[in-house]
Amino acid sequence: MIKRIIARLDIKNKFLVKGMHLEGLRILGYPEFFAEKYFNENIDEIIFQDVVASLYKRNQLSSLTNKITKNIFTPITVGGGIRSIDDIKEVLINGADRVSINTAAVNNKKFIKEAVKVFGSSTITITIETLKVEGKYKVYTDTGRTSTNLDVFEWIKEVQEIGVGEIILTSINNEGVGKGFDLNLYDKASKLSKISLLAHGGARNPDDVYKVLANSNVDGVIIASAFHFNYYKELLKKKDISLQGSTNFLMNKDYKNLFFFGIQELKKYLKTKNINVR
Amino acid sequence: MMKKPLAGIINISINNILSIKRALEYIGYNTLIINEYENIEKFDLIVLPGVGAFKEAMNKLIETNQLKSIEQALQKNKKFLGICLGMQLLFEKSEEFGLTKGIGFFQGNVENFNKHSVDQETFIGWNRVKFTNEKYFIDKKSIKKDLLNNAFYFIHSYFVKCRNQDIEVGISSNGKLNFSSIVKHKKVVAFQFHPEKSGKSGLLLLSNALKNL
Repeated sequence: MIKRIIARLDIKNKFLVKGMHLEGLRILGYPEFFAEKYFNENIDEIIFQDVVASLYKRNQLSSLTNKITKNIFTPITVGGGIRSIDDIKEVLINGADRVSINTAAVNNKKFIKEAVKVFGSSTITITIETLKVEGKYKVYTDTGRTSTNLDVFEWIKEVQEIGVGEIILTSINNEGVGKGFDLNLYDKASKLSKISLLAHGGARNPDDVYKVLANSNVDGVIIASAFHFNYYKELLKKKDISLQGSTNFLMNKDYKNLFFFGIQELKKYLKTKNINVR
Repeated sequence: MMKKPLAGIINISINNILSIKRALEYIGYNTLIINEYENIEKFDLIVLPGVGAFKEAMNKLIETNQLKSIEQALQKNKKFLGICLGMQLLFEKSEEFGLTKGIGFFQGNVENFNKHSVDQETFIGWNRVKFTNEKYFIDKKSIKKDLLNNAFYFIHSYFVKCRNQDIEVGISSNGKLNFSSIVKHKKVVAFQFHPEKSGKSGLLLLSNALKNL
């Protein structure tokens, strides 16, 4: 199997944002510029995630999806605030190939069953956000804001039984802070998963990506910060971004040790390590 | 300026026809969406895309009378492109949710991965294609290595088993199972994968395949 390298764009209003531990959002610029750049750099897939949609119970992703996907001929998954069959239809019509669902899946399993029936397994991805508390992996919703009593590994089994096509597993502990992937989590989860499983949260350098691909059976990795930080300077030259993006924070000392790497650089590195990538 | 060829895209409700429309426009076509029976005379190319269930799609084609447009296009030897479910629909029958009869242009059946020794029963991701007849996909201008060594984007739980190997121009595998990933006969070419979602190589492959039809 070819391992997939996927870029995730977190979106708030019409801007690309990035935080740490799924919080502390900062504006980086317009998502369409980043998406087009990633497409030209040979990304395998792009995920757009409306990071506040489920919290405020509103949807704005369909018009944005339509705009962002205009010049991009690569698979697109859209998530954030998807709660109904009509919500799914709306994003699919506007250029998405698949949808990812988190909060609504936990709150309403019937909806997921229905979605699988209407759109087919391969269209429905479940995002699972997990926080390790006292040695136990618990499921969170609303982009890491709301805790549940669900155990991650039980939930992985359950969503497979419902018939979804894919799972995105996000480690809140490791997300946006660049301390590498939680190898134990992904090893255990990929052993349980008979369907496509993607790792998200923690890529600090190409070797971290290699490690999670070599030490677990995940089908791909999702990277946000490292790619955004790698390309933002180049994209900053575009007038629209420098006007809109409050990127001064990137100069602050907290961000001095920024971690970043390019898509092609990562793929080249993985090939030298005999990982099958495109 | 030369007039652009016109592609008619058959709309089977729940599929993402925006991507295929944009891809065809990118490689130089004008496009029109076909929602019901339409006289196919004015089109240079008919496209049958599709994501979803075989039976539902077949019923829809019958209900909307679009099946008649498709049959006329095939009879009149129009250029015809099938993608994903659109390729599968062109075969004789599918075992998805009981046996369903298909359009029957290609000889063979559609089967489920879950009865075979495969890596993924629902395959989502990039996969390589072995081209058994390279000349269909390469024109002199394009670079052979770039195109043929690349991978393409697949998303499917069912695959096609051709009865006539002569139509098979691309083969891919899932675990130990080999299946037809591109078929071609007369002026019809069909892809199991999504060339419109397979980056620049996908667009080039699509463009060449249609030029050489």
